[in-house]
Amino acid sequence: MNNNAARPLRIALTKGRLEKDTVALLERLGYDCGAVHEKGRKLILPVGDSIEVVLAKAADVITYVENGVCDLGVVGKDTIIEMGGKFFELSDLGFGKCRFALAGKKGESFYDGTHVRTIATKYPNVARSFFEKKNMDVDIVKIEGSVELAPLLGLSHAIVDIVETGTTLKENGLEVYEYICPISARLIANMVSLKLRKEEIEELISQIENTLKSKVE
Amino acid sequence: MKRYDLITPEGTRDLLFEECAAVRAVETRLQGIFKAKGYSEVITPGLEFYDVFNMKSRYFPQETMYKLVDGKGRLMVVRPDSTMPIARMTATRLREQTMPIRLCYSQSVYRSRPGMRGRSDEIRQTGIELIGSASRRAELEVLGNALEVLSSFNTDGFRLELGHIGYFKAMVNHLDCSADDVENIRGLIEVKNYPALNDLLDSLGDSDVSRALRRLPRLFGGAEVFEEAAALYSDNDADAALDELKGLYESVSALGYKDCVTIDLGLVNRMDYYTGTVIKGYIEGCGDAVLSGGRYDRLLSEFGCDAPATGFAVNVDSVARTEMKKVNFKPAAPDVIVFGTDGYETEAIVHGRRLISEGITAETAVFDTIDEVRKYAALKGIGRIDIVSDRITSENL
Repeated sequence: MNNNAARPLRIALTKGRLEKDTVALLERLGYDCGAVHEKGRKLILPVGDSIEVVLAKAADVITYVENGVCDLGVVGKDTIIEMGGKFFELSDLGFGKCRFALAGKKGESFYDGTHVRTIATKYPNVARSFFEKKNMDVDIVKIEGSVELAPLLGLSHAIVDIVETGTTLKENGLEVYEYICPISARLIANMVSLKLRKEEIEELISQIENTLKSKVE
Repeated sequence: MKRYDLITPEGTRDLLFEECAAVRAVETRLQGIFKAKGYSEVITPGLEFYDVFNMKSRYFPQETMYKLVDGKGRLMVVRPDSTMPIARMTATRLREQTMPIRLCYSQSVYRSRPGMRGRSDEIRQTGIELIGSASRRAELEVLGNALEVLSSFNTDGFRLELGHIGYFKAMVNHLDCSADDVENIRGLIEVKNYPALNDLLDSLGDSDVSRALRRLPRLFGGAEVFEEAAALYSDNDADAALDELKGLYESVSALGYKDCVTIDLGLVNRMDYYTGTVIKGYIEGCGDAVLSGGRYDRLLSEFGCDAPATGFAVNVDSVARTEMKKVNFKPAAPDVIVFGTDGYETEAIVHGRRLISEGITAETAVFDTIDEVRKYAALKGIGRIDIVSDRITSENL
């Protein structure tokens, strides 16, 4: 069975910074990403002859890969932990690094007292499983925009959010109470694509891993 | 008050016309394959007691089952799987039967899953169970059936993948860590999460086993996998598992499905349930496995009947959806519409029956005038009108 000719390998990229970093990585591997740089409003773009890039929001990258309409995806570990799903997580791309953290107003001791805490977050599943491991009942409030506002306005005792440098927290008088886990960009694959297009995908992964290794050295 | 009487629950849907025809076509084809080989069809209840699905080797996470309470306050579930009810049934009602027992089924299973992800909660499955034989011949029969099933689908290509849980079990038996760690390792191998698997194994210290486990998710492909696996890790149990799998691989490859059979030693799903070979089937154009099964020799003994068993289930919905992209399942309009003029309504029915007995499809018109019948036939694409009065006249459209 030869399906290589069927269609190019389709990779869903998380729009924004991960997209730029992934494109830079593909260019280091020698792929022509001209179409991505001059994309205009197009969302499906050819990269060389063998790859097609699809630009999507983080959570949609997972949905497209899970359902097999994209073979591969580049998405942050934050979205993977929050959404879960059925796919293979093949490699840590090393960029898009940051951490999940529990943060709140500077100087307050979060764990003192017996009251039930309210946590504001864009990542309710991450927050829930973090406190489940601590056997703590918490109220979780889902916030879409700047989560830092919630403790400042008195809506929540703390937030669970992504922290990169901590500057936003500092400027708003907040601090990290506890780091939850590190985050970085991951290469994910549809479970059937990996099997049916093994050679192509493994070739790409080994190219990526060699490049990442040589970069570290 | 918000009413929900005009929509179907999330994760379920109505199947109309060609969708329905596609599902039935796949089911009928599979049933044909199985029944020709001596499999007898069974139907198990849609509702089962919760306990049927709540044991070590037949564990379903409780949040994935639809539950209800019966009149006596007992917890019940809407069947999330067919193999366990069939095991229950075999262990109780068929235990005195001559083994092996070959059973097949076509019924829906229900699983509560996170919504809006493009997945269904109601899944139509057709499958087989071969109960009462642990022999290599039984294994081969089931694998051969799986290949025949996959090759019967109208798709661009298919793949049958074989694994063996024994190889993984042999490794983790020699790993010095807790049962929780083993479960975590298994989960990470199942989803081929290389980065997290490496981190976890790093924390457990270096050993031959941990080095081998790191490679396990990558041990998939063709016959070359066996050599690599044998070089990677060897003890009596692991060697036995590899030998068994290799023999089966060679035998099924000889059935004439070259390049359609592959190996994945990282198939480690449901470790407490499967006891030997594990299989998955994939087709082009479908993002999830459409066939899944393996050997489960301990399940029946949990119901008090010590019998080995093996089998697989096919996700009929996925196959039907994929086939619909290539095959036209649209039901054809009847060949003839029969219109009985006033006073000849009964004769029209008799005439319709006569046509049908001749192999012609015929519907009877329920309109009062021939003009309405003509208009309706044109809209429906029916090619002929038979008008029944004291004689029968045909109009071709």
